[in-house]
Amino acid sequence: MSKKLPGYGTITVPQEREVPFGAITPAPVRQQDLFVTSNWRMVRPVIDQETCTRCLTCYIVCPDACWSYNEEEDQMEWNWKFCKGCQICIHQCPVECLSPIPELDFEDGVHRLEKPF
Amino acid sequence: MPQERNLTGCSAAAQAAKLAEVEVICSYPIRPYTAIMMELAKMVANGELKAEFVHGEGEHAQLSVVLGASAAGARAYTGSAGVGVTYAFELYSPIAGGRYPVQMAIADRTLDPPGDFGSEHTDAMSFRDQGWLMGWACSPQEVFDNTLMGFRIGEDPRVMLPQAICQDGYFLSHIPDKVIVADPAQVKEFLPPYKAPHSLSPTCPVSHGPQIRPDQGAPMDAQRAATFLEVPKVIEEATADFNRIFGRNYDPFLEKYRLEDAEIAFFIQGAHANTCRKAVDAMRKSGVKAGMARLRWLRPWPTHEIAVALAHVKAVGSIETSTSYGGAMRGGNLIHELRASLYDLEERPVVTSFMAGLGGETIWPEDFHFMAKVLTKMAKDKRADQYVRWLGFEAD
Repeated sequence: MSKKLPGYGTITVPQEREVPFGAITPAPVRQQDLFVTSNWRMVRPVIDQETCTRCLTCYIVCPDACWSYNEEEDQMEWNWKFCKGCQICIHQCPVECLSPIPELDFEDGVHRLEKPF
Repeated sequence: MPQERNLTGCSAAAQAAKLAEVEVICSYPIRPYTAIMMELAKMVANGELKAEFVHGEGEHAQLSVVLGASAAGARAYTGSAGVGVTYAFELYSPIAGGRYPVQMAIADRTLDPPGDFGSEHTDAMSFRDQGWLMGWACSPQEVFDNTLMGFRIGEDPRVMLPQAICQDGYFLSHIPDKVIVADPAQVKEFLPPYKAPHSLSPTCPVSHGPQIRPDQGAPMDAQRAATFLEVPKVIEEATADFNRIFGRNYDPFLEKYRLEDAEIAFFIQGAHANTCRKAVDAMRKSGVKAGMARLRWLRPWPTHEIAVALAHVKAVGSIETSTSYGGAMRGGNLIHELRASLYDLEERPVVTSFMAGLGGETIWPEDFHFMAKVLTKMAKDKRADQYVRWLGFEAD
């Protein structure tokens, strides 16, 4: 063979884009901050604390466990990092204290999460 | 002491898995691979093998169980055949992406329709691009050997990838042949215990398989692709160690049979290579300079080794034991990558393919002689008149 065969090149992932080996990460105590997944949300549920009865229906129905009860403040808290905007909580709330508000209506709306971590 | 025994491919795989001291096994029956699990079940029941033997409720469950077992730090083993292989399809990419070095034994069987129990490589070939190491044996002995080599290569910290250790159904899985069953001390020297880098543990909790974002997908793909660039080196080291410890003579990637001065060559993988060798010997006696290149690893594909081994040959015929309907050559899969591997040679052989050994059919010596005639004519004409010939189905 007089001609050299092509090679496969090299593959280097820049450090800032590296993903943990096999995407295996330290287990979250409460939530996995390494993989925030809310960037496809189009609307977010906004709560009217006056109407809310703390019945915890939203806490039970949320598929991503984004609602929690803050005992000290005696109010429901919403987790923006994992809410996908599915609106199940809004439809299930017995006192209709939740409203779907478009992400673009918020100054910090539509989290684009440019950096992996 | 190593023992010489008469074993089928299935028994050989089970014996090797036992010597590898697999810790979790997940079974689900589908012929012709089932006998592997029957043997392992007996070993576990008799106390010869201390392993957790899980009856999966299907192939999807089988692959899920070994994923979990491997994540927990166990050496995990499973297997399947035919449509069982395709039923488990969803799991192949997560297992490779999560870097779980499980091993899956596959005794090839045709896919439906309709149920044909014969051997054909299409089942395993259908997931060749999911990030698994994949290779075919050509004898029960090689099934035994590849099982051990698979674990060693897949569990290497530089690799950490699952392995599909394939054998032709029936031709290998059910026909006994002499197998040297290694001494446990040899296996211990060759195969260190599996160490999972981040195993699931209550004292040091980790998260496996989280949802990632689109901007994390590409780096993960690139990291896996970069690993595949390292795999050939690991295969070479492991094969050299294996040859030294067990007294074998494997080429890491390609068995080269009478290739040095060959003018025509067969490119093949799996058990039909045994008939091919005999046919090559007969051709040599009648003055036809034939040779054979047998692929040992389909993934990673040994591009350069194939180019170097076949550069001097005038005509190459790939024996396809799988189908690629509508593919570039309208025949099987091997010819695509074979031709691509030879493309950059200054002078390259002319290449065609033969659809043979499908649906469990035997490839007879006279079939190889027919193919040799085609290849000899191609060598003389310096061109391939057809990309593919379906043996037994051509109009005269």
